[in-house]
Amino acid sequence: MQTSLDFQYIIELLPILIKYLGVTMEMAFWGFFFALIIAVAMAIVRVFKLPVANQLASLFISFFRGTPLLVQLFLLYYGLPQLLPIFSGMNAFSAAVLGLSLHFSAYMAESIRAAILGIDKSQMEACLSIGMTRLQAMRRIILPQASRVATPSLMNYFIDMIKSTSLAFTLGVAEIMAKAQMEAASTFKFFESFLAVALIYWVVVMFFTRIQHLLEIRLNKAYS
Amino acid sequence: MIKVRNLSKSFADNIVLKSIDFDVLGAEIVVIIGPSGTGKSTLLRCLNYLETPDTGSIEIAGVKVEAKNATPKKITHLRKQSSFVFQNYSLFANKTALQNVAESLISVSKMAKHDALKEAESVLRQVGLAEKLDQYPSQLSGGQQQRVGIARAMACQGKVILFDEPTSSLDPEWVDEVLAVMKQLAKQKQTMIVVTHEMQFAREIADKVIFMEGGSIVEQGTAKQIFENPQHQRTKEFVARSTKSYTSAFDSCML
Ligand SMILES: Nc1ncnc2c1ncn2[C@@H]1O[C@H](COP(=O)(O)OP(=O)(O)OP(=O)(O)O)[C@@H](O)[C@H]1O
Ligand SMILES: [Mg+2]
Repeated sequence: MQTSLDFQYIIELLPILIKYLGVTMEMAFWGFFFALIIAVAMAIVRVFKLPVANQLASLFISFFRGTPLLVQLFLLYYGLPQLLPIFSGMNAFSAAVLGLSLHFSAYMAESIRAAILGIDKSQMEACLSIGMTRLQAMRRIILPQASRVATPSLMNYFIDMIKSTSLAFTLGVAEIMAKAQMEAASTFKFFESFLAVALIYWVVVMFFTRIQHLLEIRLNKAYS
Repeated sequence: MIKVRNLSKSFADNIVLKSIDFDVLGAEIVVIIGPSGTGKSTLLRCLNYLETPDTGSIEIAGVKVEAKNATPKKITHLRKQSSFVFQNYSLFANKTALQNVAESLISVSKMAKHDALKEAESVLRQVGLAEKLDQYPSQLSGGQQQRVGIARAMACQGKVILFDEPTSSLDPEWVDEVLAVMKQLAKQKQTMIVVTHEMQFAREIADKVIFMEGGSIVEQGTAKQIFENPQHQRTKEFVARSTKSYTSAFDSCML
């Protein structure tokens, strides 16, 4: 066993780990996709203060923001099948995507809601004045404007989600963190293995931060 | 064409409209004047149900809504009978001038997109903005934005257009082009209700003038009656004051 850092090992490990990046990104994309749908729905329910649905959404948001993601993942993957047998067929990947979606949708709903409420109320009045319904107004005028406001913070959640997918290894998903853990255990090169995986996350996050930046420039130019 | 009966509205314990009654005939141009805070905007907004009246009924082009049993469906139906021109334009910020005008045709009248855009273009041409179709509101001057606002209201094909101080957010240099568009609409026999502080303009275009104060209609009559021979003491004072300020502004321009 060496006491110094084995750079050679890190270099060799990188391409091996990168093969598992696909699973990580797949989880992040699907997680974000579903989170966005749930978040938009909850934001609309909350903005319109729809009776019952609004209270349920508040409860949902409070729970998923008020408990750790890891606990939620365990609850979904190990706990839920016990309660509802229908979920016993759920594989680890789906459970991870589901957990990530629910968890992040709670945060994203609040940021979308804030963006909607930030749109001047004269925009809604103008919609109503030409005979549109509130739902039409939302879809055609308010949400497009709010999405421009919310995009930077939603991108932040996406980046956060990429990092959070690493927790999926605790459910047994063969993603990049799980592979690093395996390599570390078999070679005892813990520092090198985890440094390698950290570097990969870092590069990926920097890439998406760059995209976020470019997107913001484009959005700011859009119609002002 | 329009029948308003017993319309009242309060904000908390501030009574803003006190049992308003009035009628508007087809092709009539009604101008509402009165001191600030009198409820003129609130009245106009009630007609479009942008504010919900407490009591009374509103009937526009045969569609009647009573405050006590108004449903969202009835309200939308009533709203379709009128359109609104806002003091601060309130154009859709994410849509071009053309899209702003076409929006009601696409999403309310369910016109095919291509036809809607063609129709919108012809309306924008009428207000002199054929060159600005693809500009976003933020790229237009105040006067141009308000003309888009009027075009958007025209395109809805409601029976009446409601104007709430359409020129009072404008720099003086843009006022005339907006008034010119409104005069042109008046010539085309468009029914309009206009809240304005432009007394000279009111005199020129109004078939009927309504003077409001303290949430009530104090006096109504032809422009000639209200401006030259007001009956009510409050109307006399208001007309004298606003005509004087107009004349003195005119004088100071002449100097
Ligand atoms: N949304 C609101 N909430 C509470 N009070 C309101 C609201 N809108 C208007 N008011 C009050 O109602 C009264 C009438 O207002 P309104 O805007 O209708 O007057 P106005 O005649 O249009 O005045 P101006 O000439 O200044 O536009 C005012 O006292 C105002 O403070
Ligand atoms: Mg007003």
